Amino acid sequence: MKYEVITKEDLPPFVNGLLSEIEVVGVKRKDGKFYFDRIESYDELCLDYDVTLIPPKKYLLPPNETLLKFSLGEAIQVEPFIDAAPRIILGVHPYDIKAIELMDAVFSDSNPDANYMERRRNTVIVGVDCRNPSPNAFCPSMGTATTETGFDLMLTDIGEQYVVAIGSEKGEELLKKHARTRQATEADLAQRKAVREEALAKYKLSIKAAVEEIPELLERNYDHPLWEELAAKCLSCGSCTMVCPTCVCFDVQDDVELNLTGGWRFRQWDSCMLQGFAKVATGENFREDRTSRLRHRYFRKGNYMLKRYGKLGCVGCGRCIGACLAEIASPVEAYNRLKEGS
Amino acid sequence: MKPRLAFFDFTGCEGCQLEVLNFEQELLDIISAADIVNFREAMTERSDDYDIAFIDGAITTERDVARIKEIRERAKILVAIGACACIGGINCLKNFYPMEEVLRIVYGESAHYYDTIPARPVDAVVPVDYYVQGCPMTQSEFVKVVKALLTGKKPEIPNYPVCVECKMAGNICVFEKGETCVGPVTRAGCNALCVTNGRTCWGCRGLVDDPNTDSEKEILAKYNLTPEEIIAKFRMFLGYSEVAK
Repeated sequence: MKYEVITKEDLPPFVNGLLSEIEVVGVKRKDGKFYFDRIESYDELCLDYDVTLIPPKKYLLPPNETLLKFSLGEAIQVEPFIDAAPRIILGVHPYDIKAIELMDAVFSDSNPDANYMERRRNTVIVGVDCRNPSPNAFCPSMGTATTETGFDLMLTDIGEQYVVAIGSEKGEELLKKHARTRQATEADLAQRKAVREEALAKYKLSIKAAVEEIPELLERNYDHPLWEELAAKCLSCGSCTMVCPTCVCFDVQDDVELNLTGGWRFRQWDSCMLQGFAKVATGENFREDRTSRLRHRYFRKGNYMLKRYGKLGCVGCGRCIGACLAEIASPVEAYNRLKEGS
Repeated sequence: MKPRLAFFDFTGCEGCQLEVLNFEQELLDIISAADIVNFREAMTERSDDYDIAFIDGAITTERDVARIKEIRERAKILVAIGACACIGGINCLKNFYPMEEVLRIVYGESAHYYDTIPARPVDAVVPVDYYVQGCPMTQSEFVKVVKALLTGKKPEIPNYPVCVECKMAGNICVFEKGETCVGPVTRAGCNALCVTNGRTCWGCRGLVDDPNTDSEKEILAKYNLTPEEIIAKFRMFLGYSEVAK
């Protein structure tokens, strides 16, 4: 991989240069929290943050999205609808990049999702290494605290400068066009390594089982009383999955204009924690009770995704831990309980 | 033939009927797809020949009981609109006082001219076919139900808590801001309107089908609400349900 260095002074002109060419979304502050939103200038941008409320997933799989439009009448017309305006997502943490890699695997599998794929092609990902992780994060346990893949550019704050890892030709082109940089030296890269290691020491949570152990640990404990114990408190509110960067389930519905001349098909985020998720047309519900829904989420994260896509369905961002009012959504606590009990 | 629509108000502020009038553009579409034949708040003409009755307000007198039964007999389809009609709403706050006292507080010396019974939602008296929840009723859901009636499809009404829409909106959880809400057991469909605009959820859209109210109560207690405060929180809109007893 190629590495360049950009000074902190040269960063604002770089970002503003990007802004002159393409839509840029980045991390902004909101009442002590952080969120991804469209930025109009470098000044709005925050590159040192712990975690955002909602992952950048919302730009690749919007909470609500039109899939096709149709008109009714003598000849029914159906047009696919894809909103995939080019966009840079700036300041994505490694765990969220890992999650996007998983989404790529899901949406390109067997029957590629046209809307996702086109949006993904038009999205440039500029990552930034996380120096001050959220107290709920456990990325080192999941091997997602850093990444060498999945980005076009990746920034690491090494003090007065950022090391920029170049992950794609598109990234290199944008950097060349809009930034003044120099080639990284051995010393810069050594500093990058040191900064990353320093951040690793700041994570407070860890899973006592090795990542490779998790799928089997779950399988062995399918009937463990833990699931029922946690489910008794579960609100089935879906918060854990709504904030999850690897949750990709959606529901598809049709809607019509009031004058019945046409309509549209749309999809919106769905969640396996919600009561109606596994309900089918006959009225049968395959996971009607809270326990089976709660267990399903843990199994999907720690077992099913790995079997199907070769990647674990959890990247350790800890958003679910923060979002769960009942305090039962923590993969760390669940896996550790199972590990201790086994 | 166009379906004939009628609107009837019971005990409430009639704000939900006002929401229908506030539609403007959609109202024209509704009028072109259906005939409105009875709508006291909007027109002078009255007809007792209608297909679909929209009911606004809670049932709070014996007269209400007789009148809603009559409407139910005439209407092919009956739709409850707004919290009062759907779940009883804030009218049910009075149910926790003796009825004589309620009459005395409101009407003083004239109390004996009036009758009152504990407030109840429409479906406590007659069967309801569709619900448009909310205080005031959620406009987009009203449109959804009207479309369902016009197309013969079942309307997709959310059966999940407000938290889903709150997270989609990117809101900071009100509990994280040191406040509390009943959104985790309240039916979504409002796009988390109140929380998105800096308030908290009071449950005006009613409970989801299988609410974990025990867990919600535990959480409210964990966030330092007393048992009395917890009950008061549920009684605001959900006084008719078990959770507020």
